[in-house]
Amino acid sequence: MSERPLHEPTFLMLTALAKGPQHGYGIITDVEHISGGRVRLRAGTLYAALDRVVAEGLVEADRDEVVDGRLRRYYRLTQRGDDRLAAEVARIQHNAAVAAGRLEVRRRAFGGLA
Amino acid sequence: MTAAGGLEKSYRRLLRWYPALYRHRHEEEILGVLMSAARPGQRRPGARESADLVWSALKIRIRMAARRADSRPWAAALALTAMLLPLLMVLLKLTLFLDRGVQYGFGSPADLLIGAYGEPGSFARSFQLNSYSIAFTGNVTDALTAGPVPALALAAFVCLGWRRAAAIFAAFVPLAFLAISLTSGYTLVAAPRVDVTLYAYGLEALVLLIAPSTPRGWHALRWRPSALLAAATVAAAIGMNGGLRSLLPARPVNPAALRLPRDPRLFRDYLARIPHGFIDRLFGIGAGGWGDWLLYQGTLVAVIIVALTIMLVSSPVNRRVLYVPGIPFALGAVIYLCSLTSPPLPGAAGNALTAIPVLLILLAAMAFVLANSRPADPDSPSHPAAPQG
Repeated sequence: MSERPLHEPTFLMLTALAKGPQHGYGIITDVEHISGGRVRLRAGTLYAALDRVVAEGLVEADRDEVVDGRLRRYYRLTQRGDDRLAAEVARIQHNAAVAAGRLEVRRRAFGGLA
Repeated sequence: MTAAGGLEKSYRRLLRWYPALYRHRHEEEILGVLMSAARPGQRRPGARESADLVWSALKIRIRMAARRADSRPWAAALALTAMLLPLLMVLLKLTLFLDRGVQYGFGSPADLLIGAYGEPGSFARSFQLNSYSIAFTGNVTDALTAGPVPALALAAFVCLGWRRAAAIFAAFVPLAFLAISLTSGYTLVAAPRVDVTLYAYGLEALVLLIAPSTPRGWHALRWRPSALLAAATVAAAIGMNGGLRSLLPARPVNPAALRLPRDPRLFRDYLARIPHGFIDRLFGIGAGGWGDWLLYQGTLVAVIIVALTIMLVSSPVNRRVLYVPGIPFALGAVIYLCSLTSPPLPGAAGNALTAIPVLLILLAAMAFVLANSRPADPDSPSHPAAPQG
């Protein structure tokens, strides 16, 4: 199966779950934290993304808790999700390293002219 | 009521957009997230938040319909078809309304009700030109088939998940149309557009009844192919009704204006100068005009567009989806082609030919209901829950 790059919200969601099992609102606040406040997932988007990663077997339900009369379902990363996130990180690192290397060469070459 | 209580109620109302089975599993959980994310003292859901919930709910609906079909392709295809067919009919009305309306004016609400798009005053004129009873029956049958209300109602029933109400309504429309028009001497075979609509309604009733709606596990997603299929359906619906026609201005034919310009920069002006009469003659169509060409011949083109898309995305479900909605359009196309080559059959014979497929479809639906006195119910707790993960 050819793996397409993860969308950013999905990537951030899996990153949030890499820390350990979290419930829906926990994922939202963690994603906001990871992205430096740039990405704030809405509830609909979060659950549509969760629905997808659960169906793909990257994430699974962990446990249910009731806090203040509200149901909180915790989700955790599966081994498959772990592998997928690792592959994505390797892909991004590779691309970033190439980009950084080329930028450095370019700056050195044009540095004298600027 | 407290602000939080009112907010929770509003959120619950929005969550009704999700499929019942999904709501059963996730409603309390999503509600908890929504309430946690709410600002202190917030009374109503934000506009963007609401739009996000509705959009996500529609995505989940399509995904669930697609998943159902994965393990049993026919079941999934039927479930998807039951959703697509009413949406397609709404799109047909909408594009026709916009296309004709922009060109010839929108008319009164009564004109809209009977589907006289682009013919302002049709409703009032029908009563001036005919006796009251003829005008009345004519308008009722037009409202049933050409008008937008039944299509909108059916789409609403299906989107809300009221399967049985939708099935009964879908069977009622063609039956009422046949009953009224056959007793009032209307010649059905002269109106190919009506045929397609009748067959589509009959088929929707059948599909709603026979599509088993038990979810079959959370298998691989088919969201991408389904999205492409939906997009192709939209494109086909717009093409079918000449929705793009209104982009070109109507001008009298001037053969000199049809010569290709040497300067490629003038090509856009050239396209704008092409009058409709040119296209009509190109395809050898008589008085009907380009709009009618697209409407009738265009059905075939539309079916081909959808077929190609389904082959491109080639999922076993999508391929099957092609077969079912193809039936009304194929039947309509055959009748239209027959009406091109020979004059319409005289009243009774023509009516019988048009009515027979509708009645056969509805009889099949009735036979199915009788054979299965307890049709599948998506929310019934008697079905085993789909395995998670």
